[in-house]
Amino acid sequence: MFLEIMTKRPGGSYTAIQAGIVSTALAVGLGSGPLYAYTSEDGSVQASGFVENASYSRRHVGLSKMRNTVQVEGSKDYGAQGPFSNVSLVGTFRATYDAVYDLNDDQFGDKAGDAIQLESVGGSGQTVWGQSDISTGVLGFGFDTNENPNEGLVGLGSHLHDTEGGVGMGVPVRPCDKDSRGCIDDYLDFEESDLKYPEFNDRLDFLREAYIDASMPTASGATWNFRVGRQQVIWGRTDLFRVLDVINPVDFSRHNIYDELEDIRIPMWMATGEYQMGATETFDDLNLQFLWNFDKFRPNNLGQGGSPYAILDAGNFFRAMKNCWDNGCSVANFAGGALSTDFPKHVIGIRDVHLPDWSLDNTQFGIKLEGDYQGLGFSLNALTYRSQLPSLRAVVDNADNPFTPEIESQSYDYLIAFDMHFPRVNLIGGSLDFYVDDIKSVFRVETSYTQGEEFANTLRPELYSDSDVFRYVVGWDRPTFIPFLNENRAFLLSAQLFGQYLVDHEREKVNGIEAGIPDWEINHIGTLLVKGWYKNDRVSPQVIFAHDFKAHATVIAPSVDWLISDNLRLTVGANVKVGDGAQEFDDCRACNPFPPFTGPGEPGDLALRNLAGFEPLGRFRSGPIGMAQEEDELQVTLRYRF
Amino acid sequence: MRLLHTTLAAALMAISVMPAKAATNEDVDNSFFPYRDGVPAHAGLKAGTVIDQSNVEQFKDVLDPAMQHFISQGWTTVTVGETTSFDLHPNYVQATRDGIGKVKLGAKSGEIKGFIAGRPFPEEPSMDDPRAGEKLAWNYKYGYNWGDNAAIYPFYWKYKDMNSGKLERTIKFNFHFLNYMHRVNQEPLPEISPNPSGMFRAIYVQAIEPFDVKNTQLLIHRYEDDLKRDNAWLYLGFQRRVRRLASGQVTDAFLGSDVMIEDFEGYNGRINDMEWTFNGAKNILVPFYNHNALTLSEEHKESDGYQFVEMGDKGNCFPQITWQLRKVYELENKPKDANHPISKRVHYIDAQTFTIPRTLTYDRKGDLWKSWQIGQAHPDHHLPKNKGTGVAIDDSFTMIDVQAMHCTTGQFKGQVDPALNPVNKFSVQNLRASGR
Repeated sequence: MFLEIMTKRPGGSYTAIQAGIVSTALAVGLGSGPLYAYTSEDGSVQASGFVENASYSRRHVGLSKMRNTVQVEGSKDYGAQGPFSNVSLVGTFRATYDAVYDLNDDQFGDKAGDAIQLESVGGSGQTVWGQSDISTGVLGFGFDTNENPNEGLVGLGSHLHDTEGGVGMGVPVRPCDKDSRGCIDDYLDFEESDLKYPEFNDRLDFLREAYIDASMPTASGATWNFRVGRQQVIWGRTDLFRVLDVINPVDFSRHNIYDELEDIRIPMWMATGEYQMGATETFDDLNLQFLWNFDKFRPNNLGQGGSPYAILDAGNFFRAMKNCWDNGCSVANFAGGALSTDFPKHVIGIRDVHLPDWSLDNTQFGIKLEGDYQGLGFSLNALTYRSQLPSLRAVVDNADNPFTPEIESQSYDYLIAFDMHFPRVNLIGGSLDFYVDDIKSVFRVETSYTQGEEFANTLRPELYSDSDVFRYVVGWDRPTFIPFLNENRAFLLSAQLFGQYLVDHEREKVNGIEAGIPDWEINHIGTLLVKGWYKNDRVSPQVIFAHDFKAHATVIAPSVDWLISDNLRLTVGANVKVGDGAQEFDDCRACNPFPPFTGPGEPGDLALRNLAGFEPLGRFRSGPIGMAQEEDELQVTLRYRF
Repeated sequence: MRLLHTTLAAALMAISVMPAKAATNEDVDNSFFPYRDGVPAHAGLKAGTVIDQSNVEQFKDVLDPAMQHFISQGWTTVTVGETTSFDLHPNYVQATRDGIGKVKLGAKSGEIKGFIAGRPFPEEPSMDDPRAGEKLAWNYKYGYNWGDNAAIYPFYWKYKDMNSGKLERTIKFNFHFLNYMHRVNQEPLPEISPNPSGMFRAIYVQAIEPFDVKNTQLLIHRYEDDLKRDNAWLYLGFQRRVRRLASGQVTDAFLGSDVMIEDFEGYNGRINDMEWTFNGAKNILVPFYNHNALTLSEEHKESDGYQFVEMGDKGNCFPQITWQLRKVYELENKPKDANHPISKRVHYIDAQTFTIPRTLTYDRKGDLWKSWQIGQAHPDHHLPKNKGTGVAIDDSFTMIDVQAMHCTTGQFKGQVDPALNPVNKFSVQNLRASGR
């Protein structure tokens, strides 16, 4: 199926994948000669690394990734220095070039997007961007299509669903140097070069790691271990889910939720001090860690609108909304819930992003007590940090009412005009692991309770509210022989159940629609990994299943690793989703922010609420798997390690 | 009838927990110095003899069945060396003397009482003792293998197709061992404390090469209580996390090699998991040698000049070493678990050192499956730092899967050096702190 699609596409990505593999092979074998790791004579200096080509092809889209990576890892041991028993310097450098922006530029580059039409079920049926049924000439409606033209656009969520009477918006999808509409300064404002070469930016992301380790023995027999520099700090015991592993922000633009966290955590400048007590009279191992993240705040990279991987399609939503605020925009089926509407600038959308500046108050602190007691591994964790996900607060104080152009800008309750904030979150949590010999299984438990997280909430005038959140994961690992598949090597079976409970969840069913917080009050995601090994571990097939229970969304990711040699590995895989896809929720078209023009009664009057659609809030119900339902992929990765 | 059974069982149990016969100092001398009055001999066999296809029939009585087969097939030859005494450290011998009359088996398999240090059962095993095999297993478990601590630093594993000789994979490790209890030589004696869970031994493994296992670390905690499962943790570089391992699955192939986790050092499991049978003592050729007297490999030469044992013969699956005619105990172990992938192992335990240089493993049908050979080097003819340590140095291995015609070979740089094995290296937290 994939190959048919690939060969049918102009500039077929199958050819591109071949080209990628060949180019990597040439680079490692024929081009500049084989690359070698380096170890100094005394072993104190080491360097190694890899080159990699990852080429992915997406159904109906063609090439979605052709990432070429060079990574070099080095370390230098200085031995004992002053009071420290061992001092070392570690650095990891990564450079990537994603050729998808050149090879598939009509999807993700400077030729992406097109002119669009938007649904107007109560009017003309379909109207052209900038020429909605409610547009220039109607009160203060309409916008300047010279500065916000009908080009380089796609319909928000159109890859996943039709508008079907709901809200529809246009998203500018070209890189920000080609089309600056909807780009959010210092947050999601990537130019084409930033997208092609994501490590080369003012935050020096090519420096994946650069830290100093130093150990200092104490008279009691314990050891202080310090690590200062740019680093990843990992808490917790679960795969994929980030319950305690929340210290570093994550770059979901690299491959949504599917890359190893190791590769997508965004390193931060941090200092850790670990007091390693070792065995005590009670504990087999005990360790106390202090963490200070003194780096300037960074949010998760959710993937810019128009880029191949945008978790929850959030980057597209943000870009559509930012364009609405800055330049005005057409919205499908808005006025009266039926007519396409051209909003002028400064009415709806995202006005501003409030990224925390660097200050001592904005730094982040954590403490972890971790140990082992009679075969029970445990940790107790506490962290105060800034949310890495934005909260959209409808607290804009200078919005315009298009029905009353003569009135000065002001604040309106229930108006879908937002500022982005990254609130402080306080987390406490813990984890456990233990082995049960009777069933030859390891169990892992991880839990956290946070205060300060904020969620969209259409029942509140500010259109958000905070909620305490309880999250947990129960994991089960069991090496298991499946004799008819392999008599000599056990398969790894690993299952996890992730749960999330929004303690202060608010939702009501009004006039047949769901309103309030779109996120599920309680939801679970289950994962199952089955991994085997053949040919003395040189061939390893695996399949990963993940199922979002409330979203009714499932991903199946089979793959095979082939170690061609000790240095060269080929991975061929697929990522296929099945499920319900898009889901509906109150879209606040009937929130009545401008009474009496938008309706009788008060702003937010529940009696008026009767409109729901896929956009924009249904994404929080579909979740990251459901929102990527149309992103089935065939994936080929070739890595040469030296 | 039930009463009769109960009474009989009680009587048997009472018999079994009694020391069959108290060991003596002479037993200790005989156990640790079997060659003081001369070495074994076999007609036509002397140092320098090469056993090959042409003369294997002549020496079949001093070869185990697998080696007979290999030589008769022309896959390898055996060069005989002079039989030498591998004296274990005097402190270990003295600890054995100190324990005379104090050690006995518990009522159940896997239980031992009164043991402090040294060799628990130094007396010559008797075919009449129904628990003789179990005692040999205890002697092996509490053997002076690697002494109180040691490191294999580094340790090369190579996976090979035996038919073609194709080298499929090379893995470079560092292995570290530390005894927490029953220590006889290095402070603290006899136990490292605190030791709240009663840990007997810890093993720390660090994978260095190749890339797919680089930065992987493995930590195993083995407990004094034989009935208690090991705890094991794995640090995966690409995950940067420590994972607790399901340590009960010991029959899995270790990193895809031909070696099960349960095969390490000869046998790496609980005594209680097996039924042990002593099949008698005999003199056979086993891989004991002086490392420095061998023609060594030029590959992986260390900066200090150390060279590893060369591999050769069919498929490059055979260490190029010399063999000594030595006294061994043939010890059979059969898994109690009916689902175990093997039917039995036959160990040839060296009577002097209680190392296991030769083991034959049989599949569930009873056919020979694997030949497991661990070469023992004399410490006085190895690295200078090993001289006088009284540790028989594990120095080379080959695990041959005769059914798949595949082998895994191992080349050691064994170092008996406390500085390489500090206690904090064996903590779970060290995995995180060392992890990259």
